[in-house]
Amino acid sequence: MEFSLTHKEHKPLQVNPIKHSQPMGATLAYLGVKDCMPLMHGAQGCASYTKVFFTRHFNEPIAVRNTSVSDITAVLDGGDYSILMAIENIQSKEKNLKPSMIGLHTTGLTETKGDDVRGVGMHIEIPYVFVNTPDYEGGLESGWALTVTAMIDQLTVSATTVKPNKLVILPHVSMQPIEIEKIKELCEDFGFETYALPDLSTSLDGYWEEGQGKLANGGITVDQIRDLATSATVITIGHSMKKSAIALQKKNPAIEHLHFDHLMGLIECDNFVAYLMKIRHTDPKPLIKRWRARLQDAMLDSHFLIGSSHFVITGEPDMLAGMCALIRSVGGTIDAAVSTTFSDVLRTIDCENVFVGDLEDVRLFFEGADMVISNFHAERILHMYHDTALVIRGFPNYEELGNQLKHDQLYEGSTYFLFEIANTLRKVKHEHKNHY
Amino acid sequence: MVSRAKIKELMNESACSHSKDKKPGEGCDKPKPGLAAGGCAFDGAQISLFPYADAVHLVHGPQTCLGASWETRETKTSYEGRDYTQMGFTTGINTNDVIFGGDKRLADSIDYVMEHYKPEAIFVYSTCVTALVGDDIDMTCKLGSEKHGVPIVPVHAAGFIGSKNLGSRLAGEAVLEHLIGTKEPEFTTPYDINLIGDYNVTGDMWQYLPLFDKIGIRVLSSMSGDGRVWDIRTAHRAKLNVIVCAKSLITLTRKMNEQYGIPWISVSFYGKRDTTFAIREIVTALGCPELLARAEAVIAEEEAKLEAALAPYRVMFSGKKAVLNTGGNKAWSIASGLQDLGIEVVATSVAKSTQDDIDKAREYLGENGVLMTKPASEQAKVIDERGAHILLAGGRSLYTAIKKKISFIDVNQEKKTSYGGYHGLLNLAEDLKYAFKNPVFANVGKAAPWEV
Repeated sequence: MEFSLTHKEHKPLQVNPIKHSQPMGATLAYLGVKDCMPLMHGAQGCASYTKVFFTRHFNEPIAVRNTSVSDITAVLDGGDYSILMAIENIQSKEKNLKPSMIGLHTTGLTETKGDDVRGVGMHIEIPYVFVNTPDYEGGLESGWALTVTAMIDQLTVSATTVKPNKLVILPHVSMQPIEIEKIKELCEDFGFETYALPDLSTSLDGYWEEGQGKLANGGITVDQIRDLATSATVITIGHSMKKSAIALQKKNPAIEHLHFDHLMGLIECDNFVAYLMKIRHTDPKPLIKRWRARLQDAMLDSHFLIGSSHFVITGEPDMLAGMCALIRSVGGTIDAAVSTTFSDVLRTIDCENVFVGDLEDVRLFFEGADMVISNFHAERILHMYHDTALVIRGFPNYEELGNQLKHDQLYEGSTYFLFEIANTLRKVKHEHKNHY
Repeated sequence: MVSRAKIKELMNESACSHSKDKKPGEGCDKPKPGLAAGGCAFDGAQISLFPYADAVHLVHGPQTCLGASWETRETKTSYEGRDYTQMGFTTGINTNDVIFGGDKRLADSIDYVMEHYKPEAIFVYSTCVTALVGDDIDMTCKLGSEKHGVPIVPVHAAGFIGSKNLGSRLAGEAVLEHLIGTKEPEFTTPYDINLIGDYNVTGDMWQYLPLFDKIGIRVLSSMSGDGRVWDIRTAHRAKLNVIVCAKSLITLTRKMNEQYGIPWISVSFYGKRDTTFAIREIVTALGCPELLARAEAVIAEEEAKLEAALAPYRVMFSGKKAVLNTGGNKAWSIASGLQDLGIEVVATSVAKSTQDDIDKAREYLGENGVLMTKPASEQAKVIDERGAHILLAGGRSLYTAIKKKISFIDVNQEKKTSYGGYHGLLNLAEDLKYAFKNPVFANVGKAAPWEV
């Protein structure tokens, strides 16, 4: 079978899919808004699957409700009934629930029947954001990005002036809570008043507290989202987020937009830090410099193992671009980079086989690979390949614990990631080879 | 296609004990917007059929339906071929298919599956979008079946028609209509049974199947734990249908009784008492004195072995009290297991139980047992009043356990070991032992330095 990076499908179905749907990306984005009530507009299963999916990935209760569209309402209702009834039912059952916002997102079902989810908003007193996320288009990454754009479009108030040290980060969907926190921290160290939209770093970061799971636990507040147009700088991380930044600039053309495809590896991190230095006219803190030196050391320490190894990597496009860049920067050979959906960022990947596919396609490359970096679905398949190691990244990871604290970004995260890869490679490359 | 009449019939199952209490036409509860939390009909259909590891399960729909659900259930199989249960197949329809119809994509997908995998059968699941746009799945499956010579079974349980339970019923309908009675078994015995409703999660069935072998009960087919498509096609020749811990497939057994004259019984294999009771029920229903004698011998032997193995645990658990907060039949089945281990169950939740389950819970817990209808608010009080030592509940109740400084087991979490049969009781005992011994609940709950 020949693979190439085109929109053309090479088979009619997906076997062992890695792709996840737009509404799921939307749910996750809404979970990064404090006290938001994500409301999925579809049959009850759409939300139930999404809930289980993220609950098992994060090991945390996931607050998502649904409008449980039935076969009857699918035909007779234009969305008003099921959405308004859902809100009424939830409020009459849980009187103490005070959502800061209702985050409505559609599904394939409700997009096929063509509900007017914008119009319903007029009858809702709670702040309301809607986004159209049919699951027969795009994927997790685009669903997340569309939701961020929707929140900016519908909530953020236009402004004409900016606060010179105010900054907002728009991260792509594959970034784990700790990664958002670390990036925010770096910006704060430079003296920025920093926000992230969405901000999972204080909502799904795996902390212990009573009464979780009814609404989004933490994250950016609705008022802070309203106020985002006074930011001097918007930073997008990941190609998928570019349009969201443009939406914000429409609210205030004075906002400067900085874009980074990812923050993995020395080059892209240097680029990022250089921009922050330029804006703030200051050097980074000593610890940041120290981490850069550690990353340099890690690159040298790991280059031999990684540089002599072959990799197969799968994931959402933005995550894929970052991982491939980091591994290429220390000489690793990428045999195949397989994406969930199409994105222009895939063209930046230095690899002969970059394509949109599933684990059935990817499997053809397993034999020759030393390491696969993929979601947990690759694990069972890899049992058949004893000399191929696995590092689990991306959604979902049902089996491992602490996913929200896996940090692969910036100097620090890249350092840890390189060591993790090298140490895991060592197990298949050296240990098995010495029979005595 | 699935007709309104069929859905109505399934929602008003005459064989359900609680149906007589409802007004005509009322039937099962329908999902309410905003409040429905569980899975959809498609989810239920998947759960009931996915354990057929020799069949490919092809989901005809957009990405969410399968993308978020494959490889999520630990249903074990002994099938030696490729385990299709743990694989995901979906047409993953796109905008074009929504507008122009997805039949062509489905037909091509069926061809692809047959060319590359050659399964014993394909189950094709319709989903909300493909049901709404009106793809002719029946015809595509029929043509595919004729072309490839294997059963290609359309499963009409689109998510929006109802709950998980209804989906399981519809899966039963599909199997009855397309598979059962389409093959003859190589041979039959007077002791052939069908196991209905056990999905062999974490290998539950394997806890009791060896006992069947010893007694001489033959499992002709299973719906669907460790099941084979070939076997279920011969299910009409069984002498007895045994429903294991499941209400949803009762319609299937009722109809098999009407069509093929196969009687059915409903049993559970949780804990010692239930397992023994289940075995006796089965052999009694098969009506052979020799079998009964063999069963009694096996029961005596197994119970003696179990008693010996449990003795140290009984000492360890003596005087311990437990509060149970879980749904459905687990409300009494786990209670029964705990009691077998010598633990007093002081309260159980009946919030999501049927009337049958509530009656059974009352029977097991006795007069003094508390049946909680609002466990979230009641359980903390009950723990205090009755001096419970352990809470067995879903993850959300962990906070209660830590606040009350008692042990905790998450009974809703994906288990890795089985609590079924006689031996499963030992697994439960082991888990309890570690839970009682674990200081984590006390350690975690300590006040922070800035709080004291």
